[in-house]
Formats: sequence, C-alpha cells, structure tokens
Amino acid sequence: MTGNTTRLLVPVTRSRTLRNTVAYVIDEAIGAGTDSEPSVVHFVVLSGWRSDDPGSEDERADAEALLDRVTFWAELDLEEADAADATVQIETTIVGTEEYLFSPSDYARVLSKYAKEHKLERVIVDPEYSLVGHITLLGPLEFELAQADLTVEEAPVERPTRRSQFVGRTNAPRFLALFGGSFMFYQVLGGFSDLLGGGVFDIVTGAMTALIVAVVLSNVSFYRNPSVVDSPKRIVRGLIYAPYLLYEIFISNIAVARVVLDPRASIDPKMTKIRVFVGSGLPLVTLANSITLTPGTVTVRARNQELYVHSLLQASRDGLFDGGLERWVRFVFYGRSAARFPSPLERGDTEVLQGSAVDADNSGETDEVPMSDETEENT
Amino acid sequence: MIATLRIGAIAICLAIGLFFTLVSMVGVIRLPDLFARAHTASQADTLGAGFTLAAVAIAIGPDSTAAKTVLLLFFIFVTNPTAAHAIVRAAYEEGIEPWTQGEDRR
Amino acid sequence: MSIVDTAIAAGYTVGDIMLLAAAGFVLLAIGMLYRAIKGPTMQDRVLAVNVLGTNTVVILALLGGALSEPWFLDIALVYALLNFLMAIAISKFTVERGGVI
Repeated sequence: MTGNTTRLLVPVTRSRTLRNTVAYVIDEAIGAGTDSEPSVVHFVVLSGWRSDDPGSEDERADAEALLDRVTFWAELDLEEADAADATVQIETTIVGTEEYLFSPSDYARVLSKYAKEHKLERVIVDPEYSLVGHITLLGPLEFELAQADLTVEEAPVERPTRRSQFVGRTNAPRFLALFGGSFMFYQVLGGFSDLLGGGVFDIVTGAMTALIVAVVLSNVSFYRNPSVVDSPKRIVRGLIYAPYLLYEIFISNIAVARVVLDPRASIDPKMTKIRVFVGSGLPLVTLANSITLTPGTVTVRARNQELYVHSLLQASRDGLFDGGLERWVRFVFYGRSAARFPSPLERGDTEVLQGSAVDADNSGETDEVPMSDETEENT
Repeated sequence: MIATLRIGAIAICLAIGLFFTLVSMVGVIRLPDLFARAHTASQADTLGAGFTLAAVAIAIGPDSTAAKTVLLLFFIFVTNPTAAHAIVRAAYEEGIEPWTQGEDRR
Repeated sequence: MSIVDTAIAAGYTVGDIMLLAAAGFVLLAIGMLYRAIKGPTMQDRVLAVNVLGTNTVVILALLGGALSEPWFLDIALVYALLNFLMAIAISKFTVERGGVI
C-alpha cells in the first residue's frame, strides 16, 4: 500500500528464513516511520494449542522464547540502522489460545480479527511460514486475508536451501543402510530362494523395491548417520541384552500373572515419574519399550529425559527405581563403562505421582505437557 | 530322540503361550482401568504370542519359513509395547486419571 | 515327513495339537471381545482390538504351521503390521486433533 501505512502484522513461527524476514520487516518499518507517527510492528504467534489444555505450558513457553528471540533480533536491527527508538514500536503476542485452529481460514480469521483490533493494515508473511507440516500457508492465507481488506505480501528474502524441511537430508550412509535393510527384509520374505539357489528374479525385484524405499524414505528414517563402527558393536551388545530382557520379562510376568489370576490379591497401581539418563532417539525408545515390555510397568509418556511410568505393583516400582534396565540400555548404546551408573533411586530422580503422600500436587502434574519427541522405530 | 525333544519343546511352548494369553485375557477383563489393563494386554500377551510363535518355529524346523516366524516374533516384541504405549498416552493426554486403590472400578 | 505329521498318541499328530491350541486361542479371543464391546472408553476398545489382533496373528501362524501352509505366515506378518498401524493411527488421531502425521 502507500508509504505511510506502516502498521505491520507479522505472523512468526520457527523457520529458516525467519531471521531474514525480521530484518526485512524492520527495514520496511524504519523506512516508513517518523518520530511523530511511528511505525508499529506486531509479531504474533498463532497458537496450535488451547490455553486450558493439559500440556499447553510447554508450548506457550516455547512460543514465548520464540517471540523473545524475534524481539532481540528486531532490536538488534534497529540499533544497527541507527534508528531513533521512537520510530518503530514492536509488540509481540500469542493469539488464538481460546480455540482450536484447524484450517488456513481459521488462521486467517484470527489474524484479521487481531489486525482489526489493533488497526493493522499490512501483513508480511515469511516465505517459509507454515503451521501444518510442510505446507506453506502463504497461498491460502493470502486468499483469505485479501477478502478481509488486508494487504498480504511475502517477505522477499532469500531461501538458504529449497525444500529441506524434512528431518534430515539424505546422504550415502543413510541411503545404503536403508537400502541394505530393505533388501534383506525382502529376501527374508522371499525365503532366500534365489539368493541361495542362483536365480535372479528375487534379487532384481528386491533391489528395485529397496531402491524405491531408499530413495523415498532415506531422508526421514534416520536422526543421525549410521556408524560403521558403533552399529555392529551395538547389535552385538543388544544380542547380549536380549536374553536378560527375556528372562526379566518372564520372571515379572509370572509375578503379574499371580496377581491377575488370584482373586484375593489386590493391585496397587500408581503413576510414577522417573528421570533417565539415556540419549534421545533410539536409546530412549529402547529403554521406554523395555520398560513397557517388563510386566508391571508401562511407559505412558516420554518427555525429554523424563519418563512417566504407570506401575502396577510395589515390586515393579522397586525394580524400576533400581534402574537395571537403564544400566543395560546404557551398556548397549554406550559400552560397558557407561553401565556403571547410580540407580535412579540413589540419584533422587524418582517420584511417585499418585497416592496419599502426594495427592495435593497430583492435579497439577497431569497438566504437564506431551512431548512428541517419542520416536517410532527408525528402521 | 531329537524328534521327541522337539515335540516336547513344542508342547511346552504352546502350553506356556496359552497360559500367558489366558492371563492377558483375564487381566483385560478383570482389571479396574485402562492403565492396569494395558499391562496385561501389552506384556502377558506379547510373551504368550512369543512362546506360541516359538513353538511354530520349532515345528517348522530349519527352513526359510521359520526365519519368517522369527521375524514375526521380533516384530511383535517391538510393536506391541509401542502400540500399548501409544494407546495409554492417548488416554493420559485426554485427561483420564489412573485408578488407584480404594476407588470404584470402571 | 515333517514333524507336524508325526503321530504321538492315539493317531493324533503334532499338527492336531497345534490346531487344538489355535482353538484355545480362539476361545480366549472371544473372551477379550467382551472388553472390546463394553469399553467403557474408546482407548479400552482400541487396546482390546489390538490384543485381539495379536491373537489373530498367533492363530494364523499356528494354522500355517499345522497345515503346512507357509504363506499363512506372510498374511500373519501383514496383519501384524496393520494391527500396529491401527493402534498408532487411532491413538494419534484422538490426541493430536487430526494431525496424524
């Protein structure tokens, strides 16, 4: 629009072009603002949560951290441009916490309502701005907002790399690992008939299938590159771990079976929280799954290092707090020296969330946040 | 001799498998709430399935089909707890409070 | 002659024993159906159906072994995959407001 409409609305989210977008916005604001009539820039985060949801605290904290960072960048840019403080006013907010937002039109409605309330006229959108997965929202937003008498424009910033918002980019080790895995899986299903018998049909079709799988999925299947040195070691140590885990499963299954089948026995279920020291990704998945496999304990939620574990019996709680499984998982992934580690009980990293002792702060605890960092199998 | 051993192993594995699946069924029916049921559903059932599949693998003998059975066994051991975890997490995030001693059963 | 056809007593073979076990699993599955019908929560039903699915996989494997039909195992494998996917998808769908993936 015209040069003196300098009331800007900028929806922000974490993206690789955010820094440049902020710079562009501030530049625009400085160019148009004067001392008497300062430019106003509102940076807003559209919330993907509702404020009274369980778990909204973390997301809110995350959004606030993002806004803090944006403010910091904006002030940095202002300083660099030597603009007088009064020419640009920066505001930050989180909008949309009262309701669930689904479609681009919902987002647009919330944005235009906010713009109207604060008399904002221009919306500048980060080119990589997206809220749902990998879809950029610019097109739909532009359409919706144009109907609400708002100007929408895309910040003309350079995109460092095109379309690489997936978990990671593919490279040779990932590709080869996935290709090899898929090929072997195919041969197992095919009964190795051709691999041993000298035929080619299974080998060719297997290679083609594995190639398709590797091309399509190798950029999402790994967090980090598979290591030629560590992976075999881990597999060997995993094979040592497996019998122990089976034994443990068997023993505690019998204990649980007695409780379940005996009509007089009573259970004493309690939710517990335990802080574990294993890395994220595969080690954490292994530990959480091992805990779930051992009868009497089910991992309800994995949130960074904290596991919420529902336990059925006092005995299974004690076993959990002794940290045998944790030590074993540390052994499998980090080697023998890492396995000598104090138990969670000794570290004081255990907490029983239910029961008479902690009834008071129990209700607060359920408001904790999910962390969708729980990963599925990587293979 | 080997055949007798194998038949014995098959019978024992089948019996154990059936027993743990029975535990799983009783638990799923009898325990008071979802969280407690998830214990038997995920674990007793996994072990029951594991033993039965082991029996099948022994019955088939050293063959590529047995490799498939082992693959299936491994797969069940990985997916069952994951599925149970996902279900329980869904319940917990919906705000269902775990049952504790002294409450009415649901 | 494979071990499945070995007679043990009174003309019954190992395959018959495995079929008998499969019948037992079917009975247990019927018991679990109670929880799938009664609920009370949606997650209870998903859990029960998940357990039923595992049972189905086991029954398929038993039949495949007892009747010497190795391709039953392929179906069991696919069924196990679908069963897992079902549980994950429904749980994710109910929690993450439609954002399944």
